Amino acid sequence: MNIAWKEMKKSKAKFMILGSIVFLVSLLTFMISGLANGLSQESAGLIKDLPAGQFYMTKEANQTYSMSRIDHSIQHQILSKQKDATAFSIQMGFLNDRDGKQQSVAFVTATKSKQFINVEKGEIVLDKSMEDNGIKIGDALTNNQFKGKFVVKGFVKHSKYSHASVAYISMEDFKEIYGTAEMQLIFVPEGSPEPTSSSMESFSNHQFLNTISSYKSEQMSLNMIIWFLVVISGMLFAIFFYMMNVQKIGLYGILKAIGVKTSSLFKIMWTQMVFITVIALSIAIFLSQIFTRVAPKGMPFSLTTETTVQLSIVFLIIGFIGATLSGLQIKSVQPLQAIQQGEV
Amino acid sequence: MIFKIDNVKKSYKNGEVTEEILKGVNLILREGELTSLVGASGSGKSTLLTIAAGLQPASDGQITFEGKNLTSLNAEQVRKIRAHQFGFVFQFAHLVPFLTVEEQLLLMLDVSESKLKKREQKKEVDKILKLVEMDHRKHAYPSSLSGGEKQRVAIARAIIHKPKVLFADEPTASLDSKRSKDVMTLISNLTKTLNIATLIVTHDEEMLSFADHIIKMSDGQILRKV
Repeated sequence: MNIAWKEMKKSKAKFMILGSIVFLVSLLTFMISGLANGLSQESAGLIKDLPAGQFYMTKEANQTYSMSRIDHSIQHQILSKQKDATAFSIQMGFLNDRDGKQQSVAFVTATKSKQFINVEKGEIVLDKSMEDNGIKIGDALTNNQFKGKFVVKGFVKHSKYSHASVAYISMEDFKEIYGTAEMQLIFVPEGSPEPTSSSMESFSNHQFLNTISSYKSEQMSLNMIIWFLVVISGMLFAIFFYMMNVQKIGLYGILKAIGVKTSSLFKIMWTQMVFITVIALSIAIFLSQIFTRVAPKGMPFSLTTETTVQLSIVFLIIGFIGATLSGLQIKSVQPLQAIQQGEV
Repeated sequence: MIFKIDNVKKSYKNGEVTEEILKGVNLILREGELTSLVGASGSGKSTLLTIAAGLQPASDGQITFEGKNLTSLNAEQVRKIRAHQFGFVFQFAHLVPFLTVEEQLLLMLDVSESKLKKREQKKEVDKILKLVEMDHRKHAYPSSLSGGEKQRVAIARAIIHKPKVLFADEPTASLDSKRSKDVMTLISNLTKTLNIATLIVTHDEEMLSFADHIIKMSDGQILRKV
């Protein structure tokens, strides 16, 4: 007989309160996770969207890519050996639109490759968000350090860096603005032979992202909130089930006295925990997915199915641990104690 | 003879002092017979019943049920015997608050791993509820039952799986005189009709007329057997 279900049916209010708290905590976690992911895309989408591989910068740069200056001969040596490798540079700057309004952008220039947009001298390709800001193909944009004009050739989706839109320009134009022809980084996609140079230091995608201090600190704070909420939800389960179990000590004792197995009592608790969590998570997932579709355009929000599934599994595991820990008291319940305690 | 208690002792350590609750008790329960344990409060009668029912261990002695020494079995083996062969009626009905009368009995059939099919189980429940005159309340929850009705359901739950031994600890203590007599009549009749060995702890002398054997206890020992 499904006692777990019978109890939930009879004590709807009690279980609905627990379910609604789990729902609220999980919804909050999904939303914050969506924001964290959205912000990380805004912060380093340019890097995150690259395939897995290795990033190289000079050892002298001390893990700060903006300080890296790769010698031409080394760059030539690497790029001539690895066909898929790309040398690229990123610098924050400004663009003036038709009306003279300044827009913050991240200028990116790269050697010819599949991974980056390549443009000719005097041309510029921008992130799609710039189009939303009123810039159109064919517009001529200026920069205070650039004598000529950049003609907008097109837009690319989700290309952001350090919360600014990426602006792809040619190497010649980059040199004119920043006064250097040396590239900061070389990217070698996975599968290609790794270059060996005593003056270069290599980083995986994840390691490289963590060298970007703003990205690292921002993500650390948001991840801390997410895991804090996950732990809170586990504690909520533990506390709620502990309180429910304390109320039911007498009942557990009587059930044990008539021969119910301790494992069956645990199964009742686990069934209730899984039922509540699955319902609460389903509603939270449904609402967070609706939000993904209706979120304002400029809002950095990205909640992938993968993240949702991962968080849901974590919620189930943490709920299980919380409920089980609180349920340990069931094991110690003595039937005799319950009988002497009086009516349940 | 179905159940034999042989020189059972029970003592508790209370700090430095060891309190002896049972001082070597001998007792035999037979099928179809109702044995009443009487005695003043603290005489050890409830302790004896709970030890006999496998709800707490004895400090010394032997309890034999159908040739098996219960004191040498592990907790799981004792639980199985409790679930399959014993029935319990307590001072309070101790019904599961979120199950209907019918479900309380079906639960007991589940616990005792009844081989009956679902439909047969329901038929058995109806039969037992009729026996305890509670068939008209089978869909009621415990909260809507009177004290006497609850105790009748508790008795039905105790016998639905056809136990060989029925243990009852002050089953009439929370009932008025008329209901107490009804409950005792019911237990006495069931003992005979279902051929159960019943052990009842009671302090109510009026209820002794229902017993086949009366055992008077005092200070952890049997004073007299009638």
